[in-house]
Amino acid sequence: ERRSSSLQHKSALFSCVTDKKQIHGHESWSLSPEEYEIWDRLYRIKESDGVKELILPQVPFETLENLEEISKHEEETTHELSLSEWRIWQNRPFPTSMVDHSDRCYHFISVMEMIELMRHEQGDCSYELEIQPHLRIEDVHVQRKKSHLSMINST
Amino acid sequence: HRFGSFQRLKAAVHYTVGCLCQDVAENKEVQFSKQTIAAIAEITFRQCENFAKDLEMFARHAKRSTVTTEDVKLLARRSNSLLKYITQKSDELISSNMEQKEKK
Repeated sequence: ERRSSSLQHKSALFSCVTDKKQIHGHESWSLSPEEYEIWDRLYRIKESDGVKELILPQVPFETLENLEEISKHEEETTHELSLSEWRIWQNRPFPTSMVDHSDRCYHFISVMEMIELMRHEQGDCSYELEIQPHLRIEDVHVQRKKSHLSMINST
Repeated sequence: HRFGSFQRLKAAVHYTVGCLCQDVAENKEVQFSKQTIAAIAEITFRQCENFAKDLEMFARHAKRSTVTTEDVKLLARRSNSLLKYITQKSDELISSNMEQKEKK
């Protein structure tokens, strides 16, 4: 019941926006003066708001030559959105509205759960102990370095 | 039986990830815990599923049933640096294949 009414409300909002556009005959890509006024008053972040401007993290490739320009922002005036700050929440699916979680997302959740389960392990690794008996040496490209082989021999 | 072949594949990925991490550890003079290597191995294993599904869809989108290097390049489209690296490797492979054919 509630859900359908909120959906109706949303579609009403959308039709309100399109109606307005039709009234103004506003077809350009930019905001009309009225829309600009609304944006400026209600949504635009200004210095007086005491909030930092939001930016997305740009992560360079550690192992490659980086072509992307990574702009340095001053930390005092910007807030970089973090994708790792709330990692302890991420070993379970978060609620969805209209878009389902993807396979990629479920893989992420599973690995976060696996990390959570291994967090307190000391020394021996449960994953390694479980998986290593299944290793067939013909499946892997055996390296020349002796140190790599010692990995198998040690267990 | 399917579970067994999954475990076998995971073991091969885990072994190879271990070797690669050891190279990085020596280069950067850091150490990886066994749990970190296990996590990277599991991420790599699962990432193969993402890649495989995307490659199949990209090929199908181009009305092909055979995955080509063009599909692989699409996997790297989000980063210019990565795309450049993969494209270079692809070009190197093509030219070395041509050389081998000429020898024959």
